[in-house]
Amino acid sequence: MKGIRPSRWGGQLLHARSSPATIPRRNFLASTVRCQSTVQEPAEDLIDQIPEEGETLPRKLPSPLPEKALQSAKLAALHSRLSLSKKIPLQTLARALVTPSADPNSSFNNANLAFLGSTIINYHVAEYITCKWPRLPMVIHYEALRAFSGPESLAQISRRWGVEAAAAPGEEVDPGLLQWTSNSGPLVGTRWGGYVRAETDRKHSFYRRGMSSRVVLDSDFGDAVDAGSVEDAHQHNHDTSFSSFVQAVVGAIYSHSGREAAKDFVESHILSRQVDLSSLFEFQLPTRELAMLCAREGFEPPLARLESETGRHSRTPVYVVGIYSGKEKLGEGNAPSLDYARRKACMNALKSWYLYSPGNKVRVPSDMMEEGAKPWKAPHIDIGEVI
Amino acid sequence: MTVKALRAIPSGGKNGLGAFILQCKKLEFHYCDWAGSSKGMNGFIKSLLPRFAAANPQIEFSISPRPGKHPVLTGHYINGRTKPICVRNLSPYEILEKLELLRDASGEKLKRTNKAVTSTKPSVRGIWSPYHGKGMIV
Repeated sequence: MKGIRPSRWGGQLLHARSSPATIPRRNFLASTVRCQSTVQEPAEDLIDQIPEEGETLPRKLPSPLPEKALQSAKLAALHSRLSLSKKIPLQTLARALVTPSADPNSSFNNANLAFLGSTIINYHVAEYITCKWPRLPMVIHYEALRAFSGPESLAQISRRWGVEAAAAPGEEVDPGLLQWTSNSGPLVGTRWGGYVRAETDRKHSFYRRGMSSRVVLDSDFGDAVDAGSVEDAHQHNHDTSFSSFVQAVVGAIYSHSGREAAKDFVESHILSRQVDLSSLFEFQLPTRELAMLCAREGFEPPLARLESETGRHSRTPVYVVGIYSGKEKLGEGNAPSLDYARRKACMNALKSWYLYSPGNKVRVPSDMMEEGAKPWKAPHIDIGEVI
Repeated sequence: MTVKALRAIPSGGKNGLGAFILQCKKLEFHYCDWAGSSKGMNGFIKSLLPRFAAANPQIEFSISPRPGKHPVLTGHYINGRTKPICVRNLSPYEILEKLELLRDASGEKLKRTNKAVTSTKPSVRGIWSPYHGKGMIV
């Protein structure tokens, strides 16, 4: 006897149909035309289009068949170019190339793999940023995370892997090409529980979005999940689709080769990129913030001193201002006006505070999962922003 | 909160820092069955190409006839550029050399390098500044 899950009773038995004559009969071909594996049970919502009796079966599938993956030269070359392990089958790599915009059926697209991969990528990047720059303010932390693993960066990585997009997705396309289309409307990650704030419907009213609520409610990069406000939908869909391939590859590595291999892959492809964190800061009140920092840390109050100047009466003067706290020099800046030189010196002092790093070889929590790891020594993590 | 964040995407990865991706993604071979200039190319395809293709699985190989024309090798690169080389009247081993040249190329235009090191990091020693130190009294 076949067991029916209680959650499906409502859908199967209690749902009132609009017209009783059009109860769809499951065509056996619809479930056998494409099947990921022999053990998969075709659920009702996973079948692409159940034809009613008398209709012909739509033969055109939205994405190439999984078994075509073994014949694709492009796919085998991509597999080898990424130095993927033999444990990862070509069919999985082919599935990683099918985005939800091309094929909405989640048994055949990369949505699940990409979600798994994105959690792994974001976890490793976040722990690396937290341990390597323990004093970053939360806003900078979010932007640093986006610079490493945001959709734009991951799309750039996948283009540097030589991933090409198919002109249009379809059954006849080479499975080694990325299947995506920008016609499907903006893609929003709500499938896996992205929280859409209630106030996003009310466009013109102002709601305060504090940092704590961003941490709890919003996406991994601190952005509110909002389907409507994508400015450039084509570019957005392009980046989302290309980045979903990178995420799906990491998800595939995790599921076939395990945690260590996935971490190595993330480290070598994503964390190895050079990100200049000092270019992410934008200060509004640097002098006040530095004074507050000195008060918080118990330093003497900061004092600006003119160290050197030239051409005061000329058109292009240069002032070099140093910021001192007692005898310690905190920072230095040069600018064509005295006030701006002082502000620049404060910004440099604040940046050197926030960008403190214990070194290049920091230990991260996931290092403890290796066998024979040394006992964990808690790293210093700062309390964060000054003001 | 007076610190705000600017959005920045890293300008580009350094290939080989972390992971190395071979830049040549596809090699195309064109040959002619009839013409004498393709004699070496035909011998190459029969004798040397299978071993070369097996040794370089990162590259997609495509072989197609082009009757009545000289034989051509074309490399396609990740940056979107192509490098075609005409291999008329070359022997199979000369063609193999050309093929290795195409495989190892980055796809960029050839550039003259006159500095030993090109780095994105700031100089370790710093830049001399006229505003610091006592200066030199002449």
